[in-house]
Amino acid sequence: MTQGISYSDALAAYAPCELREPAVDDITTEALLRAFHPDHIAGSMTQLRIGANAGDTCHTELAQLLQSDGRIDEADLAGAETLETDVLVIGGGGAGCAAALTAVKCGARVMLATKLRVGDSNTVMAEGGIQASVEKGDTPQMHFEDTIRGGHHHVDRPLAAQMVMDGPDVVRWLIQQGMQFDVDKYGDLLTRRAGGTSAARVVYFRDYTGLEMMRVLREAVRNSNIDVLDYSPTVELLSNEHGHCAGAVISSLKSCSYTLVKAKAVVLATGGIGRMHLNGFPTSNHFGATGDGLVLAYRLGARLCDLDSFQYHPSGLAYPQHLAGTLITEGVRSAGAYLLNAHGERFVDELMPRDHVAAAIIRECREGRGICVNDDSVGVWLDTPGLEMRDPGILQARFPKLLQLGRKAQVDLAQKPMLIYPTLHYQNGGVVIDVHGRSTVPGLYCIGEVTGGIHGKNRLMGNSLLEIISFGRRAGRHAAEHAHDRPHTKISIEHLSDLRRALTLAGLPMNQEGPLLFPKYAKFDSDSDYDGLHRSRKE
Amino acid sequence: MSALNQVLLHPQQRVGADFAAWRAAGGGEGLRAALGATPAQLIEMIRDAGLRGLGGSGYPAYRKWESLAAQRASGDRYLIVNGNEDEPGTFKDRILLAETPHQVIEGAAICAVACDINHIVFYINPDQDAALASMRDAVVQWQDSDLYTALAEHLRRPVELRVMASSGHYIGGEETAAIESVEGKFPFPRRKPPYPAEAGVHGLPTLVNNTETLANVPHIMRNGVAWYRGLGRGAAAGTKIYCLSGDVLRPGAYELPMGTPLQELIFEHGGGMLVGMKLKAIFTGGPSNTILTPADLDVPLDFDSVAERRSALGTGAMIVVSEGTGIVKRVTEYVNFFADNSCGQCPACKTGTYYISRLLSRIDTGHGSRSDLDTLVSLSQLLPGAGRCHLLDGAVKVLDSSLYHFGSEYEKAIAPRNNR
Repeated sequence: MTQGISYSDALAAYAPCELREPAVDDITTEALLRAFHPDHIAGSMTQLRIGANAGDTCHTELAQLLQSDGRIDEADLAGAETLETDVLVIGGGGAGCAAALTAVKCGARVMLATKLRVGDSNTVMAEGGIQASVEKGDTPQMHFEDTIRGGHHHVDRPLAAQMVMDGPDVVRWLIQQGMQFDVDKYGDLLTRRAGGTSAARVVYFRDYTGLEMMRVLREAVRNSNIDVLDYSPTVELLSNEHGHCAGAVISSLKSCSYTLVKAKAVVLATGGIGRMHLNGFPTSNHFGATGDGLVLAYRLGARLCDLDSFQYHPSGLAYPQHLAGTLITEGVRSAGAYLLNAHGERFVDELMPRDHVAAAIIRECREGRGICVNDDSVGVWLDTPGLEMRDPGILQARFPKLLQLGRKAQVDLAQKPMLIYPTLHYQNGGVVIDVHGRSTVPGLYCIGEVTGGIHGKNRLMGNSLLEIISFGRRAGRHAAEHAHDRPHTKISIEHLSDLRRALTLAGLPMNQEGPLLFPKYAKFDSDSDYDGLHRSRKE
Repeated sequence: MSALNQVLLHPQQRVGADFAAWRAAGGGEGLRAALGATPAQLIEMIRDAGLRGLGGSGYPAYRKWESLAAQRASGDRYLIVNGNEDEPGTFKDRILLAETPHQVIEGAAICAVACDINHIVFYINPDQDAALASMRDAVVQWQDSDLYTALAEHLRRPVELRVMASSGHYIGGEETAAIESVEGKFPFPRRKPPYPAEAGVHGLPTLVNNTETLANVPHIMRNGVAWYRGLGRGAAAGTKIYCLSGDVLRPGAYELPMGTPLQELIFEHGGGMLVGMKLKAIFTGGPSNTILTPADLDVPLDFDSVAERRSALGTGAMIVVSEGTGIVKRVTEYVNFFADNSCGQCPACKTGTYYISRLLSRIDTGHGSRSDLDTLVSLSQLLPGAGRCHLLDGAVKVLDSSLYHFGSEYEKAIAPRNNR
């Protein structure tokens, strides 16, 4: 599909150079997206046929998963142990930990179930930083407007307003928890500018802000009264007699058994869908990002939104092949690094919103101005040598993680540019929520990447770290304070019967089971614990 | 499928509270016919038609009418139209009340004519907003109608039509509890005798009939006894609304000839089992009954035929469960329901249901032992008949029947955890 100039030729032609002509972009964002953005690939979309979003457009692979059969039957739960708690948080990333910590502080009994370990999440991959209007001359209003514009005006305004207003307090809370940020010699927070924004408002720690955040949150969780169930993927939610969410069925990879957790409120913080590799794209996402939360919530009747919109991060590593998809922070571009095509020309304003830049990279490659390696990788240059020339020492000081990546790829970033190509990065849409993180199903809260509406059709850098803490804390507090007074009288997975009924009546195949839990290429030893989950109905 | 929804749920009847539409479809003719007959003739018609108490007892309807009509006292008399239905798996009365309110009122009016009743109370589950709204609307229309005037003239006294939300307690559906409730008290079941026909609401003669029973009455008056008897299959008469739920493709309320085989209900009308699951058991008439197994698929669903299988038709609820459903779990849920809904008057019921429920929960969650199971068995022999009403009996019946048919599942559940 793509042709370009070979890697060796392009590298030979490349010469580090301090300043280059800015790109002349004569195409509107809208036209560029329509022509080149992966969300607009013809034939990749379908219509949902069952559930609260029946009739909505959705990516085909995601639709298959949302309309898949459940993994369990009632018989599987015979004799299963039942635990009880006030608030059950599902997901051990930044959002889940923030919610659990807040709920426990509000006096609730909290249980946190995570598919692998606490901190195995996309939060640790977030490199760039966290947006909060903390600078003089910057306001939440400006932040709000940037978010709306970046999301192509599809943003749920009350949610975005709430998030930007929470910004400064989120940073304060994180500092209280012990998180470090890069500061100047006076101890003031350093900021940098994110693509598509009007002010420098990203606060950061080196180029591993998320990792530092997760370090702190994980320690806080370990030092609290939160019961952590690790290696425990959630295979189904539980409903009560009114169809409200009443807990979850958790599968323990350690003991090969199911556990019912009866909870007065469930906070779903399961993250995104990168590991589904939509449109065959590599992904920057964590191993567990398989869209479980979307499937679980949808089955219980929650409304979803913007299921046709995903973010492809412009700078994923394209070569070497085994590291393909690895994220290179947008911070490099916001620090001033250029993107160059095979002819050494800038072709886009590097600080446009992510979807615009990604589409522009795809355009260069598709139109033959990309750099090819052995027919299986294509990309454009990320001009780190130019950045280093303009600002000597910046790579070492601000991007140690990037340099580490360069060493892994055997590229000296101060001398040689890196080959990058867009990578599947973020699910813009998701479960519809209100300002307290409540979904349309009573008792079910959703926070983090699994939700939709806050970022519209395109997310800005730094807004996801802000969102997870802002809404994580809000949902945790609300769930703890409003846990129903009366315990559920009956908990069951009866909503699965409704699902199966709807599937049969709609004539949909029932050969796929969801949620996915692990990517399809996940290799487990045949005698491993996980094997028990691969129970097929046909056998 | 032509046998489906012939009478009560016929599309012509399902017009909601629209009085004119109901009259246009022949509504009110039953009452007109009844006004031209003597009470003795009306009760005779009900007897000959073979109308049974469709709220679950299956007791011939004419007997209660007869004993009320035989009362000497000339004062006020009450009719309670029982729409409290709260049993898991039963959802027929709410449909009748919400979608065919005039049909129900007409049936109650005919009953008033036959038994000289001047207070009619529609006693409805408070959670059924649609049923309450529709009945309130319908009653207002009735009070301005020629039918109401004719009724009052015939009885030579005004007739009170009252729509009342019950307290929402399950036990409030029991007839003496309903009487307490209508008196404004907590629905504690009373001791019988005296029977309601002798001393019911405020000590006055009272008749308590289920909504579905009364809804049938106008049609018998209009179309005659022979027609009604002809509707049923085999020896059974009339139709029955079966509430099909559980692991079937198309759950719902199906009005079919009384005596329709279970097989036909599940596989023809209900679309068969969900995704080819295997049928395991059927909780008939809600949870307070014995369980039917696949061997009973041929049973005609009428009161006498089901009783021959040592079960009961009850309200006509059919909760279908497939292989894959844990019977112990299901029974635990049902017994929990009874334990939650015991009114607490009778010590045997109050502690008995609670204790069974605790034992079952222990076994179901994998903490049970052999002695727990033995205790369950002896309790199921000890408890029946110890309560004032049938709540305790129902709880024990479902337990006993599940022990009989699915004892192996209990055995499996008490096996040590590591052998699972």
